[in-house]
Amino acid sequence: MNVHIREDMSRHTLRADDGIATGGDLLKVDNISLSFGGVKAISDISFDVRKGEIRAIIGPNGAGKTSMLNVINGFYHPQEGVITFRGKTRSRMRPHEAARQGIARTFQNIALFKGMSTLDNIMTGRITLQKRNMFWHGLWAGPAEREEIEHREAVEGIIDFLEIEHIRKTPVGSLPYGLQKRVELGRALAAEPALLLLDEPMAGMNLEEKEDMSRFILDVNQQFGTTIALIEHDMGVVMDLSDRVVVLDYGRKIGDGPPDEVRNNQDVIDAYLGVPHE
Amino acid sequence: MSPDFLNFIETFLNGLMAGVMYSLVALGFVLIFKASGIFNFAQGVMALFAALTLVGFQTGQVPFAHLIRAIFGVEILHWGAGMPTILALILTMGVMVALAFLIERLVLKHLVNQAPIILFMATIGLAWFLEGLGDLMWGADIKPMDVGLPSGGSFWWEDLTATWAAQGSDYYGMYIDTLDVSAAIIAVALVVALSLFSQYTATGRALRAVADDHQAALSVGISLRRIWVIVWSLAGFVALVAGILWGAKSGVQFSLSLIALKALPVLILGGFTSIPGAIVGGLIIGVGEKLAEAYIGPLVGGAIENWFAYMLALAFLLFRPQGLYGEKIIERI
Repeated sequence: MNVHIREDMSRHTLRADDGIATGGDLLKVDNISLSFGGVKAISDISFDVRKGEIRAIIGPNGAGKTSMLNVINGFYHPQEGVITFRGKTRSRMRPHEAARQGIARTFQNIALFKGMSTLDNIMTGRITLQKRNMFWHGLWAGPAEREEIEHREAVEGIIDFLEIEHIRKTPVGSLPYGLQKRVELGRALAAEPALLLLDEPMAGMNLEEKEDMSRFILDVNQQFGTTIALIEHDMGVVMDLSDRVVVLDYGRKIGDGPPDEVRNNQDVIDAYLGVPHE
Repeated sequence: MSPDFLNFIETFLNGLMAGVMYSLVALGFVLIFKASGIFNFAQGVMALFAALTLVGFQTGQVPFAHLIRAIFGVEILHWGAGMPTILALILTMGVMVALAFLIERLVLKHLVNQAPIILFMATIGLAWFLEGLGDLMWGADIKPMDVGLPSGGSFWWEDLTATWAAQGSDYYGMYIDTLDVSAAIIAVALVVALSLFSQYTATGRALRAVADDHQAALSVGISLRRIWVIVWSLAGFVALVAGILWGAKSGVQFSLSLIALKALPVLILGGFTSIPGAIVGGLIIGVGEKLAEAYIGPLVGGAIENWFAYMLALAFLLFRPQGLYGEKIIERI
């Protein structure tokens, strides 16, 4: 079973083949500032994500973590700063274009297609990889059918990997929370992303579900070599999973480095423990 | 069987077939409402516009002929003998796709993230514009629509049902219009084709995804603008079919655009987001108004067919505001 999956995933890495060596800069955000009217959500933040690593973004509530993710995948357009992804610099980009460049994501409050089955949800993840246009789809023959079968096989590989075979045909709206999170991860993986953004993948989970999810995240990173940037509140999980951590507070960057270094950073401790500033 | 019972069946059947036609119009509304949350007031006018364009192509009318005459003084109302129906159909569909493209480019694109009421008002404007454009392009006279559908009463059915009545009664058999039957068959085929397309193709999956959650659809790489063009094209296609069937029944004329008003009670019954709802709602309205006319009408002086549908819709609003199949609105407080 595992061999089959790995074979499948060797194909997955094809898209990540962009000439950037493992450890090189996959994503660089430079001096990003974002405000809504008079409210500054992010001020002058810069950091990088290296190819092949798991990068965590942490910080107290309202620190600007999700805003940062929304900037990276194009939901928000920052007023200042530039983003360089896979060697290409851009300042404005629409979300579906970001997806086409290889950025996939999950959401804090789960954004699945609730009326659709698990299988259909994960199949939509492959939309950026489908090349036939709707006239072929309408005919449902020849190239479109071959393509559909090919994508279906890849999706079955992901379903096996995430151990959700039993809910393949269930409408996701009726699934328990933990499984919905897993389906959402599956949909993001289906796009064979170069960069996977996870917004609180373990929020609201019990211990067992958290352990499962951590294992999946590590497997995705190690088996498929997918670069991951994640937001998470559970410090234990963050320190165990991530290679490097960036810490935000009130829209500013207050720490950046390996977990151990960040853990001992006085600014970070203050932000989390709420020590009054002198 | 007693003639009374046979009369009931006849009324019921005619109601069903009228209902299918209502469903067809309602379907155009549901498609757009599901995918973009817009109540497209222009759906009826789109049916009129499509029918006008089709007849214009068929009969070889020159578009904007009167405008050209007014400006340049050149009188060219017709070119040759027109074109075969099938070619005219393809060209008209092309026009409807182009229209969808223009609507997205000129209207929707600029109104992204606006409140639904703003988009609704934009479609009212669109309705007025299209109505004027249709008149300007093809003229405002009433035109017959002939795409080769059979029409007239079915003698076969009349003779067959005449034998059903009890011996000795003076029952002449049921009247059923073959045009209504073919319209019903076409409408059913269209609905089946649309549901297969949305269930089993990648584009259909994208359409359902957008209808379900815009944000999530964007994040997996679906371009909303492309989907909107596709949805409005599909609605244009449904409008074309509705325009042909209604046009064949009552001629292509301005009142065609008012069929949109008949779709309103259908939508209230069926729910704005449900394709099966549009179908069942249409059938209930169709059967309901024909039966009401036949059985309640004589008691109150007749002509209740015109308002019965709205009364039914009003009653539904009181007891089941989300419609038969619509999504129930649950508000967390």
